[in-house]
Amino acid sequence: MRRHRFPLWTALGAVLVVALVLGSGLLTSSPPTDAQRAAAIESVVRCPTCEDLSVAQSTAPTAVAVRAAVTQQIAEGRSDQQVESYLVERYGSSIVLDPPARGWSLLVWLLPLLGGCAAAVALGVVLFRRRRLSGPDGGRPGPGGPGPDLTPEAAAERRTFLARSLADADAEYLAGDLSDQDYLALRQRDMVRLAALEARTGEAAAVGPAVTQAAVAVDERVPEVGIATAQRAGTAVSTAPGAGARPRLRLRRNTWFLVIGCVCLASALIVAVATFASDRQPGQSATGTFAQTQAQQTEESLAQAATDENQGQVGQAAQLYQSVLHQHPDNEVALAQLGWLEFETGRQGNSASLIADARAKLLRAVRLAPSDYAGHLYLGTLLLQRDGNAAGAVAQYRRFLADGPPAALVGQASPEVRSAFQQAGLPVPAAVAGA
Amino acid sequence: MSIGTEVDVQAGTVTSPPTPATGRHTARWVAVIALAVCAGLVAVLATRPSAQTVAARSPLVDTHAVAPPIAGATLDGASYRLPRAPGHYVVLNFFASWCIPCQEEGPELVAFQFQHQSTGDASVLSVVFEDTVGDARAYQQKLGVTWPTMADNDGALALAYGVRSDPTSFLISPDGRVVASVTGGATAKGLDQLVARAEASGYGT
Repeated sequence: MRRHRFPLWTALGAVLVVALVLGSGLLTSSPPTDAQRAAAIESVVRCPTCEDLSVAQSTAPTAVAVRAAVTQQIAEGRSDQQVESYLVERYGSSIVLDPPARGWSLLVWLLPLLGGCAAAVALGVVLFRRRRLSGPDGGRPGPGGPGPDLTPEAAAERRTFLARSLADADAEYLAGDLSDQDYLALRQRDMVRLAALEARTGEAAAVGPAVTQAAVAVDERVPEVGIATAQRAGTAVSTAPGAGARPRLRLRRNTWFLVIGCVCLASALIVAVATFASDRQPGQSATGTFAQTQAQQTEESLAQAATDENQGQVGQAAQLYQSVLHQHPDNEVALAQLGWLEFETGRQGNSASLIADARAKLLRAVRLAPSDYAGHLYLGTLLLQRDGNAAGAVAQYRRFLADGPPAALVGQASPEVRSAFQQAGLPVPAAVAGA
Repeated sequence: MSIGTEVDVQAGTVTSPPTPATGRHTARWVAVIALAVCAGLVAVLATRPSAQTVAARSPLVDTHAVAPPIAGATLDGASYRLPRAPGHYVVLNFFASWCIPCQEEGPELVAFQFQHQSTGDASVLSVVFEDTVGDARAYQQKLGVTWPTMADNDGALALAYGVRSDPTSFLISPDGRVVASVTGGATAKGLDQLVARAEASGYGT
């Protein structure tokens, strides 16, 4: 077992070192692009209006403004440090998510380091002491020391010591100061040590008579003890062989832990390498960070865009929808909403190209999500107002009404819907008739 | 715990009895150290300004920085530029129509502007922060605002001044430096005091 330990620890260490080197990013040779630099800065700058998010994660208008400023300043050729200090000069050092490494905040950086060192030292001391305790002769070095060049005097001294220890244990047991279990364990230990000592000195024949007598005396008493123990507690006798077998079992289990640990680390390494090799978004670290999934980001962008739209910030909303479509060209919500914004803008500015864009987007939205009411409403309105196509509009409005739209939206849209049905010479549906 | 250790403990009782007094001393020392660390931590945290206070303090004021340039479109669509040295005190007020403290400070700002209009030693300049142009305009019309208000659609002005929340006001000295800031609702009286203090510190013309 002992021989196996060394290569396993070495393997563990090697895996750790490789993981650390890969994780440190030392191997990435090419200088970061402007986008990567911007993303890296944005991920450490706090969003001014939303406390615990970075501007990279937030869609708040202030975060958008900070992102724009970062991109612009990098384009102007400023260094990362200059960009960061530009923000710190305005917002204070709390705009950076990482606490500054000076003053009291330095403790935040130093304490984990000191704690880690202290823990490592403590672990080393514990391991060192344990190794000494369970040395090859199975015990604490006796008087004279258990070195390989055990002198006959030292061996004799140690032998006497063990004999005395055995005799003491006997006396204590008989006096009732030791429990059965402890006595058996003690006796077991000393006998094992004695046997090891004999084996090492190779002088089994020359064992002093006193010691032999003590050992024999003890051996004679064993059945006695066994009976007594069995009478008191049936399990005690079986503890003795169990106790002898346990250390070997323990070693084997350690080895297994080590093997499992190595396997875990190795698989973590494989995952890390795979992550490194695969495409990452700029600024996204390979070890992962607190980041939203793409679906969450899309969701948030859409919600933010809807809010902007309701507040009349059409430009911002359109920008957000476009960014969603850039990542997910088939997102029907973004398609329908952006199509609607383009139609409204195109109608106001009388721009045929914008309206053509809007038409394409709305048609696509309706085709991708036939049961989404918004697309049908927008397309119907476009058909009615732009083409004067009342029949087409009515078909779209029917789908709109059938898809369970919210009452507020029906109320808003009812004049248009009513007029489409009237122009087509059809009876106005009850849902929009009353409004 | 492994059997080996148990045996060693027992061996200790056989050969040399352990001294329980040592163990108790260790525990006491650990407790004393833990107590000292906790007390130190409490003392440090109690004497430092809170994170909110730190965040509210503008570094522009701390360094008496030159006021970042203000130029751009106003709510009326006209363009406006604040001179580098305005020649009088300017209260630069970031606001939103939906924010209650802004609504409370609105009349105060109107009063401040009115009081200083005749003497011409101070004026107000507003910037919309986290609000729509339409809502801000309607709000200001109801309030009777006569001073220019920057639309700041891209949030560049708010960023230049490090604004985190509505309302935030800055006092710009006649020579164009940021000399004071107010986070939260300002009052005409409070602004007068800030002007007086800046005057006393030698930031007047």
